Amino acid sequence: MTETADIVVIGGGIVGCAVTWHLAQLLGPSARIVVCDRGPIAGATSASCMGHLMVTPDNAQEYAFTKKSLALWAELHEKVGGFDYNPTGALYLADTDEDLALIPVLRQQFADHGDRADVLDRHQLAQLEPGLADDIPGALFYPGDGVVLPMLAAGAMLRAARLCNASVAVRPMCAVTGVVRDGSRVVAVDTERGRISTNRVVNSCGVWAPDLAELFGAELCGAARLPIHPRAGNLAITGHHVSPIRTQLLEISYLRFAHGAAKIDPTGNGGDPGGHAVNMQPQTNGGCLIGSTRQFRGFDKTLNRELLHRSLLRARRYAPGIAAAPIVRTWVGLRPYSTDGHPLIGPWPTIDGLWIAAGHEGLGISLAPITGRLLAQQIVGETLDVDVTPYLPGRFVA
Amino acid sequence: MSVDDTILDADVGIVGAGPGGMAAANVLAQAGLSVVVLDEGMRAGGQIYRQLPEGLVNHGKIAEPPSHDGGHALLERFAAAKVTLVSHATVWDAAPGKLWFEHGERSRLLRCRHIVLAPGGYDRCVPFPGWTLPGVVTAGALQVMVRGFGVVPGRRALVAGSGPLLLPTVTALLGAGVEVVAALEASSRWRALRAAPAVLGNALKRREAMWYARQLWKAGVKLRWGWTVFACEGDGRVQRAIIGKVDADGRPRRGTELKLDVDVVGAGFGLVPSVELALRLGCTSRFDAARGGHCVVVDEQQRTSVPGVFAAGEICGIGGAEVAAAEGQLVAEAVIALAKGSTVSAEAQRRAQKERKAADTMLRAFAPLPGLAELARPDTIVCRCEDVTRLGAQQAAQLHGDSLRAIKVGCRAGMGPCQARICGPSLQAMATGDGRRAMDLPVVQVPVKPVRTETMLDAPT
Repeated sequence: MTETADIVVIGGGIVGCAVTWHLAQLLGPSARIVVCDRGPIAGATSASCMGHLMVTPDNAQEYAFTKKSLALWAELHEKVGGFDYNPTGALYLADTDEDLALIPVLRQQFADHGDRADVLDRHQLAQLEPGLADDIPGALFYPGDGVVLPMLAAGAMLRAARLCNASVAVRPMCAVTGVVRDGSRVVAVDTERGRISTNRVVNSCGVWAPDLAELFGAELCGAARLPIHPRAGNLAITGHHVSPIRTQLLEISYLRFAHGAAKIDPTGNGGDPGGHAVNMQPQTNGGCLIGSTRQFRGFDKTLNRELLHRSLLRARRYAPGIAAAPIVRTWVGLRPYSTDGHPLIGPWPTIDGLWIAAGHEGLGISLAPITGRLLAQQIVGETLDVDVTPYLPGRFVA
Repeated sequence: MSVDDTILDADVGIVGAGPGGMAAANVLAQAGLSVVVLDEGMRAGGQIYRQLPEGLVNHGKIAEPPSHDGGHALLERFAAAKVTLVSHATVWDAAPGKLWFEHGERSRLLRCRHIVLAPGGYDRCVPFPGWTLPGVVTAGALQVMVRGFGVVPGRRALVAGSGPLLLPTVTALLGAGVEVVAALEASSRWRALRAAPAVLGNALKRREAMWYARQLWKAGVKLRWGWTVFACEGDGRVQRAIIGKVDADGRPRRGTELKLDVDVVGAGFGLVPSVELALRLGCTSRFDAARGGHCVVVDEQQRTSVPGVFAAGEICGIGGAEVAAAEGQLVAEAVIALAKGSTVSAEAQRRAQKERKAADTMLRAFAPLPGLAELARPDTIVCRCEDVTRLGAQQAAQLHGDSLRAIKVGCRAGMGPCQARICGPSLQAMATGDGRRAMDLPVVQVPVKPVRTETMLDAPT
């Protein structure tokens, strides 16, 4: 007997789990929701990324998105919990003149939205974060940011989903192998554990979303391939109780290269030299997570020693105590970068029943809750909390 | 070249100064090759032939089994050999021809044409209620205390676990003047009989068995077969142990419990091969439950799948000191053959094969018992680094998937400083209900062992 579902979410990373959480909330307890992943839940990008909950003030759309999403994060922590959630704020640090010039700009951006970030003098900086070097030329503190542990948070989202709908089926190690269509309509998906009849499918496969999209028939997609590319980051984490800092640190130069459309060939064939701006995140267990680098080089997950080295040097420059802290592990994670620098959240216009939530690059953790909510609202036909027009996937269909 | 140079050069770099590494170094040095041995310990000897720190004298009377004559001979030859030993060295990364290590607080590099991996193994831990109480330690840790530092760990001890290493743990305690209240072997007497051919067919092992029997008899310690430790209790440290019988698969038989007043418990459930460096180098491995887990695959001359990288001893599968010494001799001949175009002696090959075969027979009788995973209660800590309970790990497996990797991402187990070296085998057994099933191959990233950030930053190239 073929299983039936009201909706199948394919890809159980942080975004797929957030979509599942909000679908369960909006569809109510009788809906049949299945979430599949070919590997463990939250086992790929969500297990190898950082956990920055970040408010980005550079434009009204992103500000509204990130701000609303962080409120949903706080709600998830309060109502469900069971994951590391640390509202430390973020200290933007400047080292060069070029960096220093960014401080008033960023401060003004927050002010433009009626929000507030404070420029700290050396004394204030030392009080807020005694672990910092004493010769940092400039710092801006924004209290609204935080740090989460994404892989545990994904589990919390699934538990939140089950609080609304106990029948939500979670299927790790269950790859989707095919899609059945009737004309332009989705009617079923084939998985490693059999066929599921459904007329609604969510593609939340992150960097692998283009592979799944191909199963739906590229000829109908209008684009040769979904324009999402892996952008690698090299990370390191220390042992417990050795973090020299208790506030999240971010080099302000991050703003220059992290967001927006890259000027390099994202397919990884262009010889991207990569870039870095250090981000240090204190962990609940007293450890410190150190990133972040960015480089297009396909799906290659071997460590780029040179890039990691450069970001560790920056970490030591800002927080000298890191030098003696033991590193227990280093690794590479792949961010799902979309070619215009914005996520895809909404229906795929040429296939009835195919929805996409992917392509958040480095903001996937910050934006997962609002992404889940807005996609679920679109699917159910509810009024949207925030305008999603700039992020509709249809922008990539000719 | 001075031994203190940041960059060392040698024909052969050996990781580990236990019986395998020492045997290899002795032969290589004699053949005129330059050899540097990197070892984590304070002095040569490894775990089995551990020596007290230089200048310390042990006033206890730790009797030594007949097999240790071979160990003393190895140590003496090693001390006299033209070999550079760097103790306190943590090798944290490797590439063919290169071994990066932390020594003191310095980041150093050994460049060598050939690498011999003989890093040994580490204790297999079985979580049970109270195993995290102070005073409850692994058999290996007891050996370090007693034989490595002359520390008397308590007054009344329980030794429990499985396999041949329980016996030296008992004799070390007895030598330190500790009363051994009970010695518990989880395998049944019948299962253990499968080891008989290995013992009876080997003169040294026969003498060894007789010697241990006599030591235990003299001290009035009776080895109980098919028993193990169920739980430890105490206020701030271990004061009591609950022991009981287990079935043929190691499942606790509730209702058979006895209480013992003890102040130290040594739990030794065998060893796990230390394969991280080999995996980092890209060496092929295979899972062999009886040999302790993932083992590096070597050919008849101890060559791994990576050219220029050789392996000897426990890393190829747990086998004990005699296997390690024989494979150390063989690996040295294989390296010399490569360097000088000579051939490997049939005698060395024959001896290594014979020792390995005997060890395999022995270890099959003490292969990890899957039922021991049931000793842990839902609230028993299984991952000590991240404070994850058995229930937490099971819930993670239910939600995130049935694999070690899924459990890790679902509850963080195995992501701490030990990188699942301690909890990996028991997590797998709990997730799958079967410790014999192949574990996920650990993904090894630098650093292979934790080192200071500065060590990575200052790494010579």
